[in-house]
Amino acid sequence: MHQRQKLRTSEHRSDLAAHGGALSMSHNDSRSFFNFSQLVLSAGQIKPSPALKHSKITYFEVEILDVQSKKQICIVDKVPPASTLLDVKHKFHKACPQWYPSRVGLQLERNGPFLKDSINIQSLAVSSIITLYFTDLGQQVGWTTFFLTEYTGPLLIYLLFYIRLSTIYDQVESRKNFRHPVVHLACFCHCLHYIRHLLETLFVHKFSEGHTPLKNMIKGCAFYWGFTSWIAYYINHPRYTPPSFGHRQVSYAALAFLMCEAGNHFINVALAHQTNSGSKTCFPSPTYNPFTWLFLLVSCPNYTYEAGSWISFTVMTQTLPAGIFAFLMVIQMSLWAKKKHKLYLKRFYPEVRRKAAMIPIIF
Amino acid sequence: GRSRRRRRGPGALATAYLVIYNVVMTAGWLVIAVGLVRAYLAKGSYHSLYYSIEKPLKFFQTGALLEILHCALGIVPSSVVLTAFQVMSRVFLTWAVTHSVKEVQTEDSVLLFVVAWTITEIIRYSFYTFSLLNHLPYLIKWARYTLFIVLYPMGVSGELLTIYAALPFVRQSGLYSISLPNKYNFSFDYYTFLILVMISYIPIFPQLYFHMLHQRRKVLSHTEEHRKSE
Repeated sequence: MHQRQKLRTSEHRSDLAAHGGALSMSHNDSRSFFNFSQLVLSAGQIKPSPALKHSKITYFEVEILDVQSKKQICIVDKVPPASTLLDVKHKFHKACPQWYPSRVGLQLERNGPFLKDSINIQSLAVSSIITLYFTDLGQQVGWTTFFLTEYTGPLLIYLLFYIRLSTIYDQVESRKNFRHPVVHLACFCHCLHYIRHLLETLFVHKFSEGHTPLKNMIKGCAFYWGFTSWIAYYINHPRYTPPSFGHRQVSYAALAFLMCEAGNHFINVALAHQTNSGSKTCFPSPTYNPFTWLFLLVSCPNYTYEAGSWISFTVMTQTLPAGIFAFLMVIQMSLWAKKKHKLYLKRFYPEVRRKAAMIPIIF
Repeated sequence: GRSRRRRRGPGALATAYLVIYNVVMTAGWLVIAVGLVRAYLAKGSYHSLYYSIEKPLKFFQTGALLEILHCALGIVPSSVVLTAFQVMSRVFLTWAVTHSVKEVQTEDSVLLFVVAWTITEIIRYSFYTFSLLNHLPYLIKWARYTLFIVLYPMGVSGELLTIYAALPFVRQSGLYSISLPNKYNFSFDYYTFLILVMISYIPIFPQLYFHMLHQRRKVLSHTEEHRKSE
């Protein structure tokens, strides 16, 4: 009889559920009341309501230790399980205001890798207390600031040399000598290159949220600004010697330079569009634009075009310092291209297999 | 795991080669030391002793370039950049200053740095030899980490004085300098370059000196602890 009662209770329960829990008093009032009372008494078997669930959320505590002294800096408590490492960094910043989130490097072990901001706290937890080691990554700077500073410097420095400041060049000589048209063309090309870079940084490139240490910016600026000064000094010097093969050398090199600039621009636009549409799942494909056809041969055509620009500039001005700069840039970009090529090989294996990294066929 | 295995040290063949290299270098610098003493005794004065040891000095100091290769190959656990920097500065002084500017070879400052280099290198190469053979006498270790306190400033003074003495001759002869105008639009002034080299000693020398002092404290106190525990 108990079983039969239970069966009837469950039927009634489903009835109640079907009616949204509303009690419908049938003509058999007493029986339904009996069933109802059974229902209430067996309430423990029903799933607990959401109100009861709240008190069972486990908050995590994150203990942050200094990586060198192993001393505790602070404990971030009441961390909800769904939060990411970035939330923890924000809370840490509130407790210790001198370390803003992008400056904080957190590791699970003292020699382990730095954890990414997007990691979920729950995936790190072994117990309800998580221990992380903190390293101060130093003053950080955003990528946009980084590139803007790096590219504005050369633009202004070259112009300073172009206008032939009296402190740099001997004034008597400067006024006497006639300037070969290639000097003006070189200034135009150089400025075009950096203005294009600046505009692309502002309007085309989509940088990931990341930051980079200030030291890197200073090193990069020293390299670019130093070399620009060195190159600009010789090209704008009163005793500058125009290229040996005359107008032909200049025009062909200038043409090559402009083509490489255009190519670099279109490649950057294509890469930015790809990031925008979110389709990072496939290797960028060449479009109707002939400059993007380099994608068929090479996995990093932007580096190819940039190298081409600097080599054309060197040939156009026939200046050894420009050649040295172009040489160093080619080396640096080859290293970057090799890294990126390896990444592409892993991600897009079949398409990228037959492509070179930076120079078609060769490398 | 993999990186630790690679750093375990040179193999047997590399160790044998390194022992031979270090023994040869020790012998070479001993030859230079003996040459200096003999020339001093023969001449009766310490002036212009450079000519008596010119050839072995050039040979063995240039031979130190192999050490850059050793670091690059990984058979010696030092930084390539640091070693390259040290060896190139020595080679620069030997060839680009002392050899190239003949007038400077009679200066006493040359003797100053040659003596400093000789004593330092004899101790250094014998230190490496004994370390490779795992039989390092405490005396050599002590000498390596103590004598530099005097020898290093002595060597630096000799080098700086020699470069300074070479300046007027470089200016006069336009040695290694290119001026505008020329086909490749490039200029280089060796005189200015030498001045920049002298200035660069100011930040670099104290850093290296204090680094060696720090190493001394670490290495010699560690040995004492070992001895005490024995």
